Amino acid sequence: MKRQRTVYEAAIESGVSRRDFLKMCTALAATLGLEYSQSKQVVHAMENGSRVPVVWLQFQDCTGCSESFIRSSQPKVESVLLDMISLEYTEVLSAASGQQVEDNMKQVLKDYKGKYILAVEGSIPEDDYLAVGGKSAKETLREMAEDAMAVVAYGSCSSWGGIPGANPNPTGAKPVTGFINDTPVILVPGCPPIAEVMTGVIAHIITFGKLPELDVFGRPKAFYRHRIHDKCNRRAYFDAGLFVESFDDEGAKQGYCLYKVGCKGPTTYNSCAEMRWNGGVSYPIQSGNPCIGCSEKDFWDNGPFYTRRAKIPGTQTTINPDAVGLGVVGLATAGVAVHAAGTVVKKKLDDKRGENE
Amino acid sequence: MGAPKLPWIRSGSIPASKAGLNSENSYHPEEQIIYTTMEKDVKVYVWDLPVRLYHWINAVCIVILMVTGIYIGKPFAAASIPEEAYYSNLMGWARYIHFFTAFVFTAAFIYRMFWCFAGNKFARFNPLRLLFWKDLWETIKFYLFLKNKKPHFMGHNPLAFLSYWIFNYLGSAIIILTGFYMYAEPQKQSVLGKLFAWVPYIFGDSYSLRSWHHLVAWAFMLFIVLHVYLAFRDDYLERCGSISSMFTGYKTEPKHAVGEEHDK
Repeated sequence: MKRQRTVYEAAIESGVSRRDFLKMCTALAATLGLEYSQSKQVVHAMENGSRVPVVWLQFQDCTGCSESFIRSSQPKVESVLLDMISLEYTEVLSAASGQQVEDNMKQVLKDYKGKYILAVEGSIPEDDYLAVGGKSAKETLREMAEDAMAVVAYGSCSSWGGIPGANPNPTGAKPVTGFINDTPVILVPGCPPIAEVMTGVIAHIITFGKLPELDVFGRPKAFYRHRIHDKCNRRAYFDAGLFVESFDDEGAKQGYCLYKVGCKGPTTYNSCAEMRWNGGVSYPIQSGNPCIGCSEKDFWDNGPFYTRRAKIPGTQTTINPDAVGLGVVGLATAGVAVHAAGTVVKKKLDDKRGENE
Repeated sequence: MGAPKLPWIRSGSIPASKAGLNSENSYHPEEQIIYTTMEKDVKVYVWDLPVRLYHWINAVCIVILMVTGIYIGKPFAAASIPEEAYYSNLMGWARYIHFFTAFVFTAAFIYRMFWCFAGNKFARFNPLRLLFWKDLWETIKFYLFLKNKKPHFMGHNPLAFLSYWIFNYLGSAIIILTGFYMYAEPQKQSVLGKLFAWVPYIFGDSYSLRSWHHLVAWAFMLFIVLHVYLAFRDDYLERCGSISSMFTGYKTEPKHAVGEEHDK
């Protein structure tokens, strides 16, 4: 087997100048949330590290995550695909197909044991609803995950179960973490995740040779440490108490806070408000649509997108908490009134009997 | 009248000094009940000052927290100056008052938890005794207008105790934990953030946490309705001054309740 080219060599060979290479590294450092002084580290990693083999598996998905991935602008997807990683298996982008490409996947297991990254898109059914190349999804995942350096779960489906896992979950869909115990898993939820976040996670692994720091749910802290609400460009209107009441009112035109039309920003961890989409052009809230919380667990079941609700703990049912609360208190008050009347009547009767005795 | 008899104690076997035996009077028998004798009845010192203080601080906090909390969950009023966010801070103030009150609420709660150990026998309870559950059953029958052998309780009856522990103390714990987690959510790396970083393991993600917080708040409202009604009902039936006792600490009780001989 020939020596693997480093990322730098691959970049220079494909016609990138040293100057542009340094620019790319600096931008990458910024994307990763590093300080400017740390961009040296990125350059060093790119000059010495070889391309990381990646196997990209797709299960119960819509290919939306792949679509998002190829729109990465910083680092550019070309530089990721051609310079930083060596994409060994993918259903969307590979030219080869059938036996050829399946064999290549087997080859990865032999050549790069414990060194490749397994990217997973889509949830995995507990029952055998899905088979690729004659093998059930569960089997393929377990086989490929066993010797992987890490598993990156791209998208809400592979991170939480997503839309296939939404109530009533006909296929018994489960996230990656439902099948893998021994290999470290990085969750990159979102429907789809932001392109730069997807490439950024891989870039982090290449730069530092280790997995990024994860939060309690297993998401990289660099991209999921803040809620949309914390960094929202409409936050000032929230604090002021200026809210959009309906999508055609004056507030909507003025760009007021979308909290009352069901914005899930306060409960959603993602980088949309900072990194934005399509190379930093905009994101849903900036465009006037409330956040639907697509990177959160069970987002599809967390109630209507345009209403504020609360979930009954332990279920996937959402209710209007104030209406239900008022109803319960109202019923209790009515019950109290009846009980009070009963108490008075009983006391009067008891007193009368006491007098008679 | 005389002391109500419990079914498993043969009549006449209770000495006068133990009259009115129930789960509460027999709890910590070494502790004397403080009372002053009046013409016909006795005035029993039931609620310590810290318990009364906690009660009213807690009550005021709950009202403030509920009003601001409902506003935060579903803003029912908009800022009066439109267009520019710069001039108003309505939600900001609602949140600020909510947070400030929450700290007071939490401090009062911690103090009351301490008083569950340090307080007088009416501030404590022991659910591990059979007598407690028998009294509880009699109390439920009493509230359902059924024939019952409920003894007279000077402090809380067992059902009241249980409701405080479930609604008030467990509810407070849930609402404090989820609340402080949310309070520290934007600064997870802060001390407060790290202190409550484990809360999602129990209550789930941000959305579930909020749902817990919101629904438990309504459970508090349900509790208030029942609690206020039953306090007035107790005063009406027993004429023991339940309502005023939460201000003065004293309840008016018949003499046999503290073991004194009847004048009759």
